[in-house]
Amino acid sequence: MVKTLGWLAGAGLLVGLIMAFGVAPREVTQGNVQRIMYVHVPLILASYVAFGVLAIASVVYLVRRHPAADRVAHASGEVGVLFVGLGIATGSIWGKPTWGTWWTWDARLTSVGILFVMYLGYLLLRGTIDDPERAARYCAVLGIVAALDIPLVHFSVYWWRTLHQPPSLMKPGGFTGSTSILWPLLINLLAFVLLYAYFVARRVRLLRAEAEVTA
Amino acid sequence: MPDNWGFVAAAYGLTAAVLLMYWRHLVRRERDLDTVRRRRS
Amino acid sequence: MSYARRALAIAWKDLAVERRSKETLNALVFFSLLLLFVFQFTLGGDRERLAAVLPGVLWLGFVLSALLALGRTFLVEREHDCWEGLLLAPGDKSAIYLGKLVGNLALMLLVEALVLGLFVVFFDIDLGRALPGLLVVVLLGTLGLAAVGTLFAAMTANIRARELLFPVLLLPVQVPVLLATVKATEGLLQGEPLGAVAHWVKLLVAADTIYVVVSLLTFDVVLEG
Repeated sequence: MVKTLGWLAGAGLLVGLIMAFGVAPREVTQGNVQRIMYVHVPLILASYVAFGVLAIASVVYLVRRHPAADRVAHASGEVGVLFVGLGIATGSIWGKPTWGTWWTWDARLTSVGILFVMYLGYLLLRGTIDDPERAARYCAVLGIVAALDIPLVHFSVYWWRTLHQPPSLMKPGGFTGSTSILWPLLINLLAFVLLYAYFVARRVRLLRAEAEVTA
Repeated sequence: MPDNWGFVAAAYGLTAAVLLMYWRHLVRRERDLDTVRRRRS
Repeated sequence: MSYARRALAIAWKDLAVERRSKETLNALVFFSLLLLFVFQFTLGGDRERLAAVLPGVLWLGFVLSALLALGRTFLVEREHDCWEGLLLAPGDKSAIYLGKLVGNLALMLLVEALVLGLFVVFFDIDLGRALPGLLVVVLLGTLGLAAVGTLFAAMTANIRARELLFPVLLLPVQVPVLLATVKATEGLLQGEPLGAVAHWVKLLVAADTIYVVVSLLTFDVVLEG
C-alpha cells in the first residue's frame, strides 16, 4: 500500500517535471525562470495540507488519545516543515532574478515565514520532551494553538501590508488562466500531495517501529 | 528578461536533493530498525 | 473551594510571593531601564526617527519584559518542588491557569505602566488624547501575550531547554498580537481616534478570546503530568 503510494508519487513527479518543461510555455515577461513556480507553489500548498492534517490529528489525539493520531501529527509536522522550508527557498530563488531581491516583506511571504517558524517550534518541542506520552499531549495542544493562530496571522499580516500602503509587488507570475499553465501546475500539485502522503506513511511506520523497539 | 536557467536549475536541484535526502534518511532508519528487531527476535 | 476562589488564591499567592521577593519585578524594572538607555543612545538625538520607531520600541520593551515575566510563571513551583502539588490539585485545573494568568497580568501591567511612564518622561512624549485608546490597546495586547504565555510556560516548565524553547514557541504565535498592538499604538500616537484603528482592536479582541478559551480548555491536558 505504502509502496504503491511511493510509486504513484514518483510517477506524478516525473510527469509533472516533464510537463513543467515540455508543456508549460515560456512566460512572456519573466522568461523560463517562471518555471520555478511548478515546484514552488505545489510545495507550499502541500505544506498547507500537512499542517491541516496536523491540526486534525492533534484534536483527534486529545479526544481519543490514540498513539496513531500522535504519530500522524508528528510525521505531518516533519514533512510540512520540510515542504514549507523548501517552498520558501524556491520562492526566494525565484524572487532574486525577478524581483531583484531574495526576500521581501509582503503579505504572503511574511505569513508563510511565520508558519515555518511556528511549526519548526513544534518540531523542537517534540525533540526536547523525552516522555512520549507527554510529548504527544503537549504537541497536540501546540498544534491546536498554532492552527487557530493561522487566520489571525493571515489577517494581521494582510492588513499590515495593504492598509495605508499600496499593495506591494505581486508574487512572481500571475495567472493568465491558460490551460498550458494550469495543467502542469495541477499535476505537480497532485504529485507533491502524493509525495507528502507517501512520506507521512513511511514516517508513521518508522515511528511505530521505533515505539515498539523502545517499549 | 533573460532566462536565468541557473536559478531554475538551483530551485529544482535543491528541491530534488533535499527530498531525496529525506527519503534516504527514512529508508536507512527503517533498515536499521529492521536489523535491530531481527537481532532481538 | 469554589473555582473562582481557587483561581484567586493562586493569583494572590503569586503576587504575595512577588511582593516579598520582588525578584521578577526588579529584573523587569532594571531591564526596562536598560532598554530606555539604549534607545536614548541610538535614537535620542533624532526626534523624528524616534517618533517613527517609538511604537515598535515601546512594544519591544513590553514583549521582552513579558518574556521574562511569563517565563518565570512556574518557577516557584519548580524550584520548591511544588510541581506535583499542582498536578494533584483537585477539581478543574483550569482554575490554576486563570490564577496564574491574573497574576501575570497584574505584574505585566505594572511593569508596562512603569515603562510607559519612563518613556513619556525621558522622551518627552505627549500622550494627551491618545491615552484612553492606548490603555485599551495595552490591556488587550498584554492579555494576548499573557494568555498564551501562561499556557506555554506550563508546557515548557519541566523541559530541558526551557529558557530557549519558551520564546521560540511564543513569539511566532504572538505575531498577530504584536502587529496589531504596534500598528494601533502607532495610529493612536499620531493622533488618530480609537475608531481609526478599530480593526486592530477587533483583531486583538478575537485573538484574546481564542487564546483564553483554548488555554482554559487545554490547561488540564498540560497538567496531566
